[in-house]
Amino acid sequence: MPAAEVAARVRESLANLKANDLKDAQVMEVLTLAQQLTDTMQLFFGSLDQSIHKEFVYIADYIARTRTEISKLRPNDIKEQRIPTAGAELEAVVTDTERATEAIMAEAEALLDSKPDDLAAYKAQVDDAMMRVIEACSFQDLSGQRVSKVVESLRHVEKRVSRFAATMGVHDAEADEDEIAETERKKKLHLNGPAIGGPEVGQDAVDELIASDLDQNAIDALFD
Amino acid sequence: MAVEMSMPILVVDDYKTMIRIIRNLLTQIGFENIDEASDGTEAFEKMKKQKYGLVISDWNMEPMTGYELLQRVRADETTKNVPFIMVTAESKTENVIAAKKAGVNNYIVKPFNAGTLKAKMVAVIGDF
Repeated sequence: MPAAEVAARVRESLANLKANDLKDAQVMEVLTLAQQLTDTMQLFFGSLDQSIHKEFVYIADYIARTRTEISKLRPNDIKEQRIPTAGAELEAVVTDTERATEAIMAEAEALLDSKPDDLAAYKAQVDDAMMRVIEACSFQDLSGQRVSKVVESLRHVEKRVSRFAATMGVHDAEADEDEIAETERKKKLHLNGPAIGGPEVGQDAVDELIASDLDQNAIDALFD
Repeated sequence: MAVEMSMPILVVDDYKTMIRIIRNLLTQIGFENIDEASDGTEAFEKMKKQKYGLVISDWNMEPMTGYELLQRVRADETTKNVPFIMVTAESKTENVIAAKKAGVNNYIVKPFNAGTLKAKMVAVIGDF
């Protein structure tokens, strides 16, 4: 029952009591005070109802907006289509690359192992091997197309997640313990992986570092 | 002292293709006694059982990395003097310095060619 309705009923009861011709002044004073209190409470509960109502309307709007944004994110499409497809494409790239590498290596090893007596026959063998090497290199075209599809899917996911985060005002939470531990482990073991665009330090620079007489302090300074 | 071409060499990499490439390069150079391991743990177990003339190891492997293998090799009395070349795509200065600090004999950045491999081997074990 709404607070305003409760207050109205209490006020009605008090009015009835007053109408019963009570002569006791103390009781009348209490009733007068009670009526004033009830009027005050009615205002209070009325305003409370309004603010609670506004809060609930805001929460309902927020939930509706969140549902809409999640819907626009299309999580099921990402989970069931985009990511699995991207994973399958990358697996295919690995398989194609391995197959091509195996073919090229086999041809190279066969030529390295061959003991040519007849130069004309050896020339024909080399020509055939080189043709198979060239054929094997066709994997690059397919791999390029597959990787482009993966990049497109990643951009698609990135765009939707970015929009969702911006609209909902999402801030990044702290990484969980497992992620922090893995990051620390990689840092400790210097597991950086291949640099994009070639080695960060070329072989010549590596040779200089290896040949240099860095003392312990100089080495330690590089890790500070 | 001349390098003994029959000396056992241990190649450590988690990619079979890379092991195959290095094995082929070593064979072309003239080494025939080539053993292989797919990570640091397997490599160290093999090193405890057999004395190798050279270890050529990748860095980024699981569960034991090449860097951890190097540290373990240098800390063990029976393996601490085995020549160790790191062949890796890890190309940050910090990696090279960390390897040097841990006692690596030489460091090759992937991708590499036969000439680089031979030059670094000569620098580590002597001319052949």
